[in-house]
Amino acid sequence: MKMEDVSLSSMDNSKMEGFAQEILSDLVEDACLGLCFEVHRAVKQGYFFLDDTDQESMKDFEIVDQPGVDIFGQVYNQWKNKECVCPNCSRSIAASRFAPHLEKCLGMGRNSSRIANRRIASGNNTNKSESDQEDNDDVNDNDWSYGAEKKAKKRKSDKVFLHSLKQPVHLVSLFYCYRCSVCS
Amino acid sequence: MFNRFQFLFQTNTSREKQMRAAINQKLIEMGERERLKELLRAKLIECGWRDQLKALCKEVIKEKGIENVTVEDLVAGVTPKGRALVPDSVKKELLQRIRAFLAQHST
Repeated sequence: MKMEDVSLSSMDNSKMEGFAQEILSDLVEDACLGLCFEVHRAVKQGYFFLDDTDQESMKDFEIVDQPGVDIFGQVYNQWKNKECVCPNCSRSIAASRFAPHLEKCLGMGRNSSRIANRRIASGNNTNKSESDQEDNDDVNDNDWSYGAEKKAKKRKSDKVFLHSLKQPVHLVSLFYCYRCSVCS
Repeated sequence: MFNRFQFLFQTNTSREKQMRAAINQKLIEMGERERLKELLRAKLIECGWRDQLKALCKEVIKEKGIENVTVEDLVAGVTPKGRALVPDSVKKELLQRIRAFLAQHST
């Protein structure tokens, strides 16, 4: 009868199971202790109760669920029908059109100076055919479509310039390519 | 003859202890114990055990007073319930992994 040959495989299943339970027990104990240490530190350092709010504040900031009002209780479309008086021309303008109107009215902002210049230019060149094109421009044109008539001139030079550029100016080329509508 | 059996029995248990110690060492050295710890921690947070225990801790703190509460107070007050509150599914999953490890490394 050799006693040295006893290997763990002879350790029967119940013992293995007992051993596994013991390991689990140790792990759970570690988890509990870890939590206790964390809590204790939080208490002593003073941040344990930080996330508790008192009842009063909870009531103040409760979510509002009424129609016509957002969750903070503010009315969210109260500026829809309001009208403002322009300080420059003293006209009554709708609130959503007020900012663009001010731009034109005061002569500030990106569009207003260009459109004004164009009008002056077209005023001087009433006999030339280009003026028709410019007069047809809408007051509400945005920046991008202004470039339309310059497209023909710019396209060729831009194309050659842009597409021979290397990677680093990728962002710039995106900007230009949007204007001359060439994808890159 | 009786002595021989006694001797055998003793050898077996001491060998058993040796085996257990060896496996524990392997568990730690191979990083498996750490992984099991992390797994257990994640599962316990997921199932809300951690929050339950934190609430229990709050009670202990209110009882003993913030200034005077010690780690021992918390441990004594919370650990027994903590063990009982671990969900069976979590226990099962961990036991599976432990058994697998034991089966793999027990020679």
